[in-house]
Amino acid sequence: MVRVLLKFSKDITSEPITSQVIMEQGTPINILTAHIDQRGGEILVEIPSVHAERVIEAFRKRGVIVESHKPVNVDKEKCINCGACFSLCPINAIKINEDFSVTFNDEKCLGNACQLCVDACPVRAIKVSE
Amino acid sequence: MLLSVGELPYIPFGIIFSKKYFNWNCHLLRKTLGGCNTLEKRTVTEINEEIRRGDVQVLTVEEMKKLVEEKGVKKAFKEVHVVTTGTFGAMCSSGAVINLGHSDPPIKIHRAWINDVEVSHPGAAVDLYIGAAQMSETKPFEYGGGHVIEDLIRGKEVELRAIAYGTACYPRTRLETLITKDDLNQFILLNFRNCYQRYVCATNSNDEILYTYMGKLLPHFGNATFSGAGELNPLMNDPDYETIGIGTRIFLGGAQGYVIGEGTQHEPGNQMGTIMVRGDCKKMKPEFIRGAAFTKYGTTLYVGIGIPIPILNEEIAKKVAIRDEEIFIPVVDYGVPRRERPRLGRVSYKELKSGKIIVNGKTVKVSPLSSLEKAKEIAETLKSWIAEGTFYLSAPVERLPLDTVFKPMKQTKDIVFVEALMRPAATCKENEDIEKVAQRIITHSVNHIVVVDAQGKLRGIITSWDITRAVAENKKSLTDIIIRKVITTTPDEPVEAAARKMTQHNISALPVINREGKVLGIITSEDVAKLIGGK
Repeated sequence: MVRVLLKFSKDITSEPITSQVIMEQGTPINILTAHIDQRGGEILVEIPSVHAERVIEAFRKRGVIVESHKPVNVDKEKCINCGACFSLCPINAIKINEDFSVTFNDEKCLGNACQLCVDACPVRAIKVSE
Repeated sequence: MLLSVGELPYIPFGIIFSKKYFNWNCHLLRKTLGGCNTLEKRTVTEINEEIRRGDVQVLTVEEMKKLVEEKGVKKAFKEVHVVTTGTFGAMCSSGAVINLGHSDPPIKIHRAWINDVEVSHPGAAVDLYIGAAQMSETKPFEYGGGHVIEDLIRGKEVELRAIAYGTACYPRTRLETLITKDDLNQFILLNFRNCYQRYVCATNSNDEILYTYMGKLLPHFGNATFSGAGELNPLMNDPDYETIGIGTRIFLGGAQGYVIGEGTQHEPGNQMGTIMVRGDCKKMKPEFIRGAAFTKYGTTLYVGIGIPIPILNEEIAKKVAIRDEEIFIPVVDYGVPRRERPRLGRVSYKELKSGKIIVNGKTVKVSPLSSLEKAKEIAETLKSWIAEGTFYLSAPVERLPLDTVFKPMKQTKDIVFVEALMRPAATCKENEDIEKVAQRIITHSVNHIVVVDAQGKLRGIITSWDITRAVAENKKSLTDIIIRKVITTTPDEPVEAAARKMTQHNISALPVINREGKVLGIITSEDVAKLIGGK
């Protein structure tokens, strides 16, 4: 699975672009998070790896900005392994290991599209990637 | 700090001699026969003698629990002299006393700030207390007293500002200077309450995210948090406070410190004992003492504490064998902003440390807030200090009380609840004409119309502003202007909590609903203002 962030400008939010791409390419697309308001929209999707290239191309053709998702940045020097972030992660990308150290799975992390853990870190060790 | 054993004993010399002699015999026996069958107890003095000789048998509390499980209490007692515990949690009632020395001309500080964090002035001219929870005036909720303490321990330079009224003996009225810990005469950690024996597990029944001292709580029981180290916690392993008391030498923030008494809110009857501690910040290490910020709650200080428990007899060996599955805490709904919050059940530290608990039949992810990894590191570090002979035990000069209770505050004014202030709400149905609703606003002289369904349940809200906008934008249908996401209150909510909701969301009224979502009335910011203004 390839995870990408699709950014829709406000001019194209009224069109059913995602559905069109699914139909046209004949591939399932898994929507993980969606955020849409007057200024436009952002959805984080998972695309089967084999179809990824042409699906991304199809979105770009329709004026969608496609960004590969960026996981959060964790400063391990600052982190105290408290685990305050653990229960906030909606997709189990944060793990508390047997020795109680805390690790982040960058592959799974929804990064910018989620950010639920960021303001829960008491020592501000979690930052959103720019 | 290395104390020679000669400084430690306060027992008359004769007793020491005979005990020492007895212990020496046992020591020989242990070496030759592999055990001393007559050994029923040992003293702190004897353990210190073992430390001095380099023969002390010290285990972390985790290792000890395994040993008791494998070999039994009797054997574990014989083999182990000391067990080390640890905890690394956030405690807001932490702080540090500093003494600045005198300026020229001298100043009797009236108010002072370090890095824009107000530091309270307890009395004399240049003594200050840096409270961990006091927040920066320029970076509130992000930087506070806890961070000032950490920065000073790290050797960073901080900015001190002070003002004074000026006296004949202290003429100076303003002061600005830069200081590091080396410039301070004293820099003493002085924490009123630390090391909670156990604490509750927090969750949230509300519709919104709650930011609390128990961390970030997602709506609808979306997660839970807990604090405390469970079976690693010092007091949990000495639940009758037989070895931990006034004068007990401890690991504190990476240096040696002392227990100076029971902590505030010490509640032994409820297994919620606490301790008051002091230690020299100048010797502490930043990896074991950290400033922290809980979003929208405030700042605090993570404090590393490790306490050695001398295994004086089999009873104590048995008590330190307590496991996480035997330690239970209540699950508490922080969605209810009252002193007595609803309890939704109880869970063990074993369940909590597994990362998932069951709340109301639903599996909920649970976060520790104190660092269990650091707690283990602290127990290991203290173990190595004792094994290397750089840390000696001290017997308490007085025990912690076993009978104190944690009383609620005496309040001389009754709390006012929403019920007392609410009034009937002007309502409408979704399919009504805008004009009719506008008329109702005028005839009832209100600013809010609550939208309800046939059963009287809340469907939305409309304000006079929304009607004005509808006219300006030529909107005909009520459904175009209804606000669907409504912030509500309940009759049993304190007025303060309801007022806070209005301020937070920048709104001027809250529909009052019951558990089923039925509208019972409305409370407005005007009513609240009248209540406060009327007094």
